[in-house]
Amino acid sequence: MGLLGAAIGIGLAALGTGIGIGILVGKTVESMARQPEMAGELRTTMFIGVAFVEALALYALVVSLLLIFVKG
Amino acid sequence: MAEASGGGAMDPLKNFEIHPIVEIQLGGLDLSITQPVLWMMIAVAVVFCTLTFVAATLKRSPKGLQNFIEMTVDFLRKDLVHAVIGEEGKAWFPFIATLFLFIATCNLLGLIPGSFTATSNINVTASLALMVFVFVQFAGIKKKGLVGYAKGLVPSGIPKPILVIMIPIEIVSLLVKPFSLAVRLFANMLAGHMVIYVFLGMIILFKSVILTPLPFVGVVIMYAFEIFVALIQAYIFAVLTASYLSDALHEGH
Repeated sequence: MGLLGAAIGIGLAALGTGIGIGILVGKTVESMARQPEMAGELRTTMFIGVAFVEALALYALVVSLLLIFVKG
Repeated sequence: MAEASGGGAMDPLKNFEIHPIVEIQLGGLDLSITQPVLWMMIAVAVVFCTLTFVAATLKRSPKGLQNFIEMTVDFLRKDLVHAVIGEEGKAWFPFIATLFLFIATCNLLGLIPGSFTATSNINVTASLALMVFVFVQFAGIKKKGLVGYAKGLVPSGIPKPILVIMIPIEIVSLLVKPFSLAVRLFANMLAGHMVIYVFLGMIILFKSVILTPLPFVGVVIMYAFEIFVALIQAYIFAVLTASYLSDALHEGH
């Protein structure tokens, strides 16, 4: 049961994070194409944003690892 | 775990277990030198020796290593610290640059086969994040005073009743920052290296010479990706530290 929960949990987390980062990077590329002189600043902001979105999937990863290895 | 039926024992987390190398017990405190400690020491030695060597052999027309170090330091100063914090960032440049170089070296050293990634241990990343947290609070209080800093945490100009909700939210978001900083670095390093181990384990699991190239290609691709991730994660840690500092130093957010 724990293994199933871990698998479903990390799958859903990856799904959401994938969509989130996809939108984030896509929009950044759009703005970079529109204003190439802003590219450096946009890239920094994008990486910060990606870090925040990605953290959510990593929380799920930690929970999954706990579910797998800490048998309650 | 590890349903490796028949194949060699495949438990990717085995590689992340900590064993003491030199046992040191000091009055009930366990100060043993474990693999993370050893590899952090190596990382510090690598960074220190490289920078000292470059500083001692500075040339007018740089080449090779000096070019690389100059590029890195220039990038850290201009594109990272100055771009995020601004003029006040000058005082914090050494701290952020040290963090970046240390974490990047730890991450990259961990990619050498047979070594240990110090940053794939939550204790290491948590202490780094805690240090950043303390420094950020210290910087904010030093700049604005205790009362001014506490006021600056909550957006100004909101009605009193909403403050009841806002203050707990702000406190939670303040405390979540170091937590997410620690977990991000730790989980990225752990997950990335685990994927490489799992791919390697597949070679044994498949028990087929024909299929061996598939996981091997996977390992090569993931390894290249991990080099990228190692640098990106160090960069993200440094950028987030800089942006937290910038939030603490500047008025309003």
